[in-house]
Amino acid sequence: MATKPQSIYRSLDRKASAIIEFTLRQYRTKKSTWVVLGVGFTALSLIFLIYIDVMASEFESIDNDRDSTDYDNDGYPRGQEILLGTDPWDGNSHPGLFDPPIEPDPKSMYINEDDFDWDVTIRLGEQSTGYDDDGDCLDSNKTASQKDTNGNGIPCDIVVEYYRLSDGNFYASIDADNGVDEDPDEDAYSREAIHIAFVLSIGKLGFVLLLGIFLPLFMATGLIRDEMNSGTMHFMLAKPIARTELFLYRTLGYLGIVWPYVIALGILGAIVSGFAGSGDSFFRFADLGVWLAIIFATMMATLVYGMLFNALGVLWKYGIILAIPFAAWELGMALLSMGAPDATLLRFSIIGWALMIIDAAAMLVWPNLDLFILMGNWGGDGNAGWNFETSLEGAGPLGFFSSKPGLGLSAFTAMIVSTLVLLFQAAIFWFIGGALFKGKEIQ
Amino acid sequence: MIPDFDQQGKAQTQQWEPEVAAPAILLENVSKSYGRIFALSNITLALNGGVTGVLGMNGAGKSTLFNLLMGKLKVSQGSVKLFGTDPWKNPAPYARVGFVPEHEKMYDWMTGHEFVSTFARLNGLTRDEAKGEADRVLDFVSLSDVAHKKIGQYSKGMRQRVKIAHALVNDPELIILDEPLQGCDPLARTTIMNVIRELGRMGRTVLVSSHILQEIERITEQIIILHQGRLLALGNLHSIRERLDKIPHRISIQTEDPKALAKDVIDLDEVFGISFPDGKNLSIQTHNLGAIHSRLPRIIVDNNHKVSTIDNPDDDLASILGYLTSGGGV
Repeated sequence: MATKPQSIYRSLDRKASAIIEFTLRQYRTKKSTWVVLGVGFTALSLIFLIYIDVMASEFESIDNDRDSTDYDNDGYPRGQEILLGTDPWDGNSHPGLFDPPIEPDPKSMYINEDDFDWDVTIRLGEQSTGYDDDGDCLDSNKTASQKDTNGNGIPCDIVVEYYRLSDGNFYASIDADNGVDEDPDEDAYSREAIHIAFVLSIGKLGFVLLLGIFLPLFMATGLIRDEMNSGTMHFMLAKPIARTELFLYRTLGYLGIVWPYVIALGILGAIVSGFAGSGDSFFRFADLGVWLAIIFATMMATLVYGMLFNALGVLWKYGIILAIPFAAWELGMALLSMGAPDATLLRFSIIGWALMIIDAAAMLVWPNLDLFILMGNWGGDGNAGWNFETSLEGAGPLGFFSSKPGLGLSAFTAMIVSTLVLLFQAAIFWFIGGALFKGKEIQ
Repeated sequence: MIPDFDQQGKAQTQQWEPEVAAPAILLENVSKSYGRIFALSNITLALNGGVTGVLGMNGAGKSTLFNLLMGKLKVSQGSVKLFGTDPWKNPAPYARVGFVPEHEKMYDWMTGHEFVSTFARLNGLTRDEAKGEADRVLDFVSLSDVAHKKIGQYSKGMRQRVKIAHALVNDPELIILDEPLQGCDPLARTTIMNVIRELGRMGRTVLVSSHILQEIERITEQIIILHQGRLLALGNLHSIRERLDKIPHRISIQTEDPKALAKDVIDLDEVFGISFPDGKNLSIQTHNLGAIHSRLPRIIVDNNHKVSTIDNPDDDLASILGYLTSGGGV
């Protein structure tokens, strides 16, 4: 038999692959593994089904500027009367009295008739955008000052202004001339907004939080502890292998199950949302970048939590009880990260960093997301600004689930930084878990 | 039949350098306590080569001793060295040690072969080498025919043997067996005893524990007796026995006519007392157990007594311990 040269790598490889393989096979024979994986799959499938249902339904079109209503009962919608210069409040003043008389337009012509025409990207300062599709602003009967109610010198436009306050946060304001983009297409907007909100929410809550915490909670706490309890640890510890090594390889074995599972569910999610999602294209290829980030962030989360919970299992027989406060803390941090992605507290969490990866990817894939949210919140009511009443369906959830990666970093840097931090956390928990295990007396 | 332990398939040489001529096992003033309770107190011991039996009642400290040797417990005082290295701090010596734990729980979902070969890889063997080793050691413990059955389907004796096989991977110099005969049927017992004796003949250092004297007696003469955490005796079982023979012993004989047999043995010098517990039994008190045992068969045969059993109710660990703890230490 030809002997291959001995090296540390080769002996590491033998031990590592033996333990990893062993752990994989051991978990495969456990019923609890299949229960946990099955529950995770069912939970996410249900959310996917709800999403498909939402995407398949029609979003009610709202006549935001109420110009399809015939207030004076003369048979002509208000919008048509305004365009043609008759009094929409007077039944005796309508285009039917013109010579030649004009037939009334169908009401539907005045619903969603002035959709968003924004072509700006987010940057500091004042920008002019928007176009009056239905001509109720560009109406020749209006005076110059009536056409420029926002007073920026450009008739019938919208002023989008971004500015930075002394606290470092960005603020935005929208000031539209009366009648510009005032009746957007709810179905188009809400479908897109809800699609993005869904991808972000299922990515953050369903994948990173739910899978990221519950898989390790049930599968990693027992990696060392179960062996110690059943006495089978004696077989492993009777071999020339350091306990810190054993700790690492067992965790890698658990990742050998969890990672393919997360990847498979992520691909399922990408396929479902890619085909069922909004938009004219057959498949939303651009979203794949976000799904990739979701998968990656979940993998990192399961790695760090795996190390942590494995260490907690070593620490105490009922390590799962110790893990629960951590899980609760992380849940709080997940919610905090959506509300206040710059909170310092987030730096002391695992999930805060993992979610940052998704936020950064969302920023790359949907660069105008902030503007899009702003648009939806504004909802066409040029004067109400942040008035909730006028905001479009989907803008609220989208605003909640999306956030800027903290630290004021660019998307790409944020991804790298958070990945490094997560790897560092995993290493720390490995170190702690290994040290605890090393100092543990085993009966 | 006996495989060549030096054949190819052996693991790589260790990069770690053992202390020159360090004994396989060296314990110096070792104590292990839990709070104020001493599981082991002040044990000093050096072992190198041969089969040594560790005798002791349940709770005498046998498992504590083995767990200290296997680096699972940390000594409270003193030092434990395997081949000159402290096993609590460094697992390197286990490349040269095989351990058969007492615990019954095993990986029932694996086949015997998978179990042995998987754990062989922790010795640094490649997958193929490990499979070869598994074949070899399973053959050594006569389990080849069931090697590919699930451990869950094994009998108690097979489970013990597969544990032993797992410990023999990589041809260890020191093999530690914690109660390997417990719960085994007679056939398995014989196989396991033969395996242990064979290992001793091959020059390995073997440490085997039991709480049954007769078991150990069939394996080895060199024994360690632990009692309440203390090292009560260390040495040759025969020398301990000879001294035991000098103390009063009972021999219980079940026969059809105890009175007739009593007549024939009463005149022997070694016999100093006789009693009849019931109509079928004769109990002889003696100072020299060995002499009686050598003479008794002749007497029985010559006088045509119908004897169904001869029993030494005192010849067990409890009575040896009783003798040793009453001040007669070896």
